[in-house]
Amino acid sequence: MESQPVADNSPAVLAFDAVSKAYAAPSGEQRHVLQDVSFNAPAGRRIAIVGRSGSGKSTLLHLAAGIDAPTRGDVRVMGRSLATMSETARTTLRRDHVGLVFQFFYLMPHLSVHDNVALPALIAGDKSHRFEPRVAQLLARVGLSDRAHERVQKLSGGEMQRVAICRALLRRPNLLLADEPTGNLDDENGWRVMKLMLSLVAEEGATLIFVTHSREVSGLADEVWRLHSGLLSPHAEAEAPAVPSPS
Amino acid sequence: MKRVLIALLILGVLNPAVANDWKAAQPDYAWSFPRDHWAHAGYKTEWWYFTGHLTAEDGRRFGYQFTFFRIGVLPTAPDTDSAWTARDLIMGHAAVSDLDRNEHRFSEVIYRAVPLLGGFGAWPEPLIAWSRGPAGTPGKWRLSWNGSGFDFEMRDDAQAMSFSLSTRPVKPLVFQGPNGYSRKTQSGTGASLYYSFTRLQTSGQLSLDGQTWQVAGESWMDKEFFTSVLAPHQLGWDWFSLQLDDRREVMLFLLRREDGTTDFASGTIVHPDGSTTYIDGSAFAVTSQARWQSPRTEGVYPSRWRLSIPQEQLDLKVVVELADQENRSRLIGTLHYWEGAVKLLWDGLSVGKGYVELTGYGTSSRPAL
Amino acid sequence: MRRYFVSAMAAHLRAGGSLYLLTILGVALGVAAVLSIQIINRNAIAAFAGSVKAVSGEADLSVLGYAPSFPEDLYPRVLSTPGVQAAWPLWRAAVALSGDPESSSGQADGGMLDLIGVDFFTPVDIPWQGEPGDPAVALSQPGWVALTPLLAEQMGWRAGDAFTVSRGSRLVRLTVGALVDFHTLNPLASPKLAVMDIAQAQSLFGDAGAIHQIDVKLADGADTSAMRARLQERLGPAARVVTPEQREAQAKGLLSAFQLNLTALSLISLFVGMFLVYSSTQAALVRRRVELGLLRSLGATRRQVFALIITEVGLLGGLGAALGLPLGYGVAQANVRVVSATLSNLYLLEEITRLEMTTWLYALGIVIGVGGAVIGALLPALDVARRDTRALLSAFTLHEAVGSLAPRLFGLGVALPLTAAAWYGLHGRHWQHAGFVLAVVLLLTLPLLTPLLVRELCARIRVRGFGLGYSLKGLGVRLQTTSVAVASLAVAVSMLIGITLMIGSFRQTLSVWIGTSIQADVYIAPASWRGTGSDGGLEPHVMATVTGHPAVQAVDRLRRFHGYTGDRRITVSGVEMGLAQGLSRFPFLPGALPDPYEAVRERHGVFVGETLARKAGVWVDDVLPIHTPTGVMKFPVVAVYYDYSAGDGAVAMDLQTMTQAFGPGPVSSTALYLQRGADVGAVVAELQAALPDAPLEIRSNRRLREEVLAIFDQTFAITRLLQFMSLLIAVCGIALMLLVLAREQVAELALCRSLGAKGRQLFGVFVGKGLSMGVMGLALGSIGGVLLAGLLIYVINRAYFGWTIQPYVDWSLIAQQAATILGAAVLASLYPAFRARQTSAAALSRDDL
Repeated sequence: MESQPVADNSPAVLAFDAVSKAYAAPSGEQRHVLQDVSFNAPAGRRIAIVGRSGSGKSTLLHLAAGIDAPTRGDVRVMGRSLATMSETARTTLRRDHVGLVFQFFYLMPHLSVHDNVALPALIAGDKSHRFEPRVAQLLARVGLSDRAHERVQKLSGGEMQRVAICRALLRRPNLLLADEPTGNLDDENGWRVMKLMLSLVAEEGATLIFVTHSREVSGLADEVWRLHSGLLSPHAEAEAPAVPSPS
Repeated sequence: MKRVLIALLILGVLNPAVANDWKAAQPDYAWSFPRDHWAHAGYKTEWWYFTGHLTAEDGRRFGYQFTFFRIGVLPTAPDTDSAWTARDLIMGHAAVSDLDRNEHRFSEVIYRAVPLLGGFGAWPEPLIAWSRGPAGTPGKWRLSWNGSGFDFEMRDDAQAMSFSLSTRPVKPLVFQGPNGYSRKTQSGTGASLYYSFTRLQTSGQLSLDGQTWQVAGESWMDKEFFTSVLAPHQLGWDWFSLQLDDRREVMLFLLRREDGTTDFASGTIVHPDGSTTYIDGSAFAVTSQARWQSPRTEGVYPSRWRLSIPQEQLDLKVVVELADQENRSRLIGTLHYWEGAVKLLWDGLSVGKGYVELTGYGTSSRPAL
Repeated sequence: MRRYFVSAMAAHLRAGGSLYLLTILGVALGVAAVLSIQIINRNAIAAFAGSVKAVSGEADLSVLGYAPSFPEDLYPRVLSTPGVQAAWPLWRAAVALSGDPESSSGQADGGMLDLIGVDFFTPVDIPWQGEPGDPAVALSQPGWVALTPLLAEQMGWRAGDAFTVSRGSRLVRLTVGALVDFHTLNPLASPKLAVMDIAQAQSLFGDAGAIHQIDVKLADGADTSAMRARLQERLGPAARVVTPEQREAQAKGLLSAFQLNLTALSLISLFVGMFLVYSSTQAALVRRRVELGLLRSLGATRRQVFALIITEVGLLGGLGAALGLPLGYGVAQANVRVVSATLSNLYLLEEITRLEMTTWLYALGIVIGVGGAVIGALLPALDVARRDTRALLSAFTLHEAVGSLAPRLFGLGVALPLTAAAWYGLHGRHWQHAGFVLAVVLLLTLPLLTPLLVRELCARIRVRGFGLGYSLKGLGVRLQTTSVAVASLAVAVSMLIGITLMIGSFRQTLSVWIGTSIQADVYIAPASWRGTGSDGGLEPHVMATVTGHPAVQAVDRLRRFHGYTGDRRITVSGVEMGLAQGLSRFPFLPGALPDPYEAVRERHGVFVGETLARKAGVWVDDVLPIHTPTGVMKFPVVAVYYDYSAGDGAVAMDLQTMTQAFGPGPVSSTALYLQRGADVGAVVAELQAALPDAPLEIRSNRRLREEVLAIFDQTFAITRLLQFMSLLIAVCGIALMLLVLAREQVAELALCRSLGAKGRQLFGVFVGKGLSMGVMGLALGSIGGVLLAGLLIYVINRAYFGWTIQPYVDWSLIAQQAATILGAAVLASLYPAFRARQTSAAALSRDDL
């Protein structure tokens, strides 16, 4: 399945509509991770989500990626409601429109730098190898052209995350979701990787939602939202107003 | 389990039911001596029974027994091409009672009567019967006619005993019953042909545990052949062969019922001149006065008798020389009987000697022979 | 710790059911393979010993002939020997049983009967069932015989029923007279023992003067070996005196090569099973890494952790053994018939009629099960126990060890076979068991080479799609898991291919050999020819009828019996060496004297079978001593011929030489060369019609060849079964590896899911992995298999059996097997692939792998 045209009347790449998520605690009680979260993330916007550990940041990203399903409410990606889609359709949607970047990079240790970046295309069944220039372009952009055929284990943490970002962007996703992308890097590397990611996203015209607990890093975003006890609110120190739409 | 076959066979000997093709003992049997000393094929059972008292040069006293049995399996030999084709079995029993040392030893053989292992001779060849010695003992057991009496020899290395004896009759052959026809039942269905040499002068060698003595003494020989003797209700017998110092001899037998009472009894008195008087059970009385229990077979045997024959003015005490003179077969598990030397007392004085055979004790089964 | 262990194990059993199940299955199959062979081996000996004990249970010594029989007049000599307590003669013959009591035709459809002629009046132990009846009948009723209740029931015979048996061409009618239950004396005694009067036996079978055995019971306290020497001295060269132990040892010796080979094959199954335990343990440990790390951080010592793992695996091994015991018994039960038929065909021993599980066998099963499991788990357990707590608790995989070890293992894998080859060249060649050492080395080498080969192969793969290349690439890193699976498959495949090649070559060689040595048109043998040391033959009137047939151009007479060279039982054959038509009967090895057929007659020499030549080390120009009734005679060896019999060997000489050395005897079987153009089928039919009642098997050339090959195939049936079991274990191994991979790679799979891979794609990747492992195992195993076949053909068979086998490859069969293996590998990957397919992208967040 190839990408489908996005409805003109819906500028939101990602929309949460009164989304709640609860897990059954071992005691049997319901633990509410997200409560009535609603927002629209318009195209091209770069949003940071901050909050304490356990505030539901990662859950929010998983819901956004269609990896997890909400207890109540609806998540829409590219205007399409995930709730009504089959697992396969969600997978296809994710493959074609969503990129993921993880705290621990999650590179395939047995693949080379190049192959790791190319993996989404391989998974998508692109056998024509038309993605090759794109891989080269991305690697050049992150400064890893000369290491394309090395095994990923030989890379430093910052380099690994750069590879992961390339992988995430390979198929030109509309939405890039990053979960603590600098969480496993030192400050200097983290800062550099973050800057690189933000400029890449800007170049690609993608929407970025990233989770971080670093105030410095969140400062780089267009908007900063705060997640607290399952409730989403605009961050006090945001340089631009980030107003969640009223539900 | 093993050996049972032999026992059953031997018991079968005494079973009148299988007597179809066999000859029965007849009162008008035509005797012919010496030929009748040899085997009589066609009768189911035959035996040559020697018992006697021997004294060595050094005064040591022995009782002995030597017997060859012919056990007919078939009236005629089957027509098979094999050296193992047999009509008879030959069984030998020999015992020595060392009367000074109170010890009794028993030896036995049993073989198919085939040229490899043993058999019966034919007149006029001197050999009457022979067999291989017991397993582990070289040589043969033999019985032969020496012209006037019998020569016989046995050897058993495992029991460390052997003897070789030669006999000569001091008194002539006597028939046990008119014309040698010896009835065993009231009705006359069981009978044997039976004669004896009641006094045989005996000499030869006897060895025990590697020591050899020259011995001499007197023996008694019984020869009997028949097809069926015991009636089904007869359990066993007490048999006496007594040699009195006054040159008389007495043979008595009593056939017992299962309850121990006497079913049939008979006897012969041999007078000093060799003449005989046949007496029936009413003419004598035998009373058991003591008992001995075998520790091995648990048979309870009489061991002392009072014997009276009023018409002969005889009133004897018969006392065993040695309590344990029980012959216990190792080859035939169920076979055991008491065969032993006795002394005769009259008012406490020794008046003679003899041998007694007691069968059917200590077991509910019938005696072997 | 113990309470922890119990509760933890229960929890793990619930959670990791399939892993544990595979461990148990691996152990169970390994135990079953080894045990089934041991059950059959032990019972084969026990069947022989059981019958020996039932017949000669009380005997301390037995006198046996060098030729089958000896003169009966030795019996009194034995009897009168000081120290003998009892002795009894036995006449024995294996006679062919005719099934139908009413028919007198010689159809040997009832198998064989071990007929014993005894003298009932010796103290021989006869276990009568019920009353034996009147022995006078046993002696006088023609053909009176006592049978075991089992046989009587089997045949539906009751007392008084008559039936027919044959020895040689002689038919004898027997009558059921009584029952003897030898099982009361020994539960393993053959039900086909029968007892009759010795005189009747000798007479009915035309054997007057001959007996086969004298059993001797010694007096209490007699010294057995001194008595043995004394008896032997008294008996001279005509007979030998042996203890029951010696008789059993002789049977064992006969079977040792056959049994050793089966045992070795079954051990391969166990070896493969141990791989399975190794990898399942490793997988379980990967799963429990954090748990173990936690235990360590809470103060558990390395020793405790190690003990925990080993105990758990030991328990699983115990469960596997518990499953393997009945399975092994079942396998043995299912195969006892063919093995038994082989033993009686090839080695002329008692048939196994009943299997008994001894305590020893139970113990063996448990030791193999628990021991095999523990050994299999040793490495992973040590590996985990050695790690420090931090490493256990942090994200890591256990794969590094093998990864960095791979070059060293490879080095070892190269050095080991080289060393072994050097050793073999220098010393090993002269040692009988060297072949097995080489085979073991070969099978050890494969797993050593595997990791590096897999790694290098996978490293060279370029990933060109999310398919096979990706599958392979993944295998390369998961070395510890992958290479174990590949190695175990390679071992199993080696065995499969090696043995297939060996059997195929052997069969081809045999069929070529049959083509040259079975040349006559018609073969006539008595129904009893297969019997144990049967000395019956074709009677003169049969020979006259057969040779008088107008189509017969030449007659090849064979007289055959068992003889002895030293303590070795050999088949001694006499044929007319001068027969013009028979010049290819013996395919010679190079080095025969010129014109061997003439030389063997003129020099009163022998042709020696290759088997015997190799075992006894007798070659052309040597002399071979053989026991004859008059003492040991030495025969010059004129030639060595290819021989594929299984016993201790064979020799052939001219009939005239045989008569001079052994005295006259009956013709055992005969072959006919027909006039040119004669219709073989018609001649066979005419001969059968001319001898309607004779208990003969009259075969055409073609039928005899077919039957020889049929016996051959039967012989190797059990081998095929073992191959199959090893393969089954290896396939389980693949399934296990993939399951392990599916578990270990949850994160990777989840990542692929998060990158948009569909379940179907993951399924494909896993099937690809299974197929890749199958291909690698097959490739490695094929190389191993060819080498193993070489070892089997050139070293092992030669050392144990003395056969020369020409290599031959049946490509279609090999291709078929390869396809089966790959198919099995794919099949094995289906379930793991299904599991992989189910992996959700959400697993990424829950599992930090």
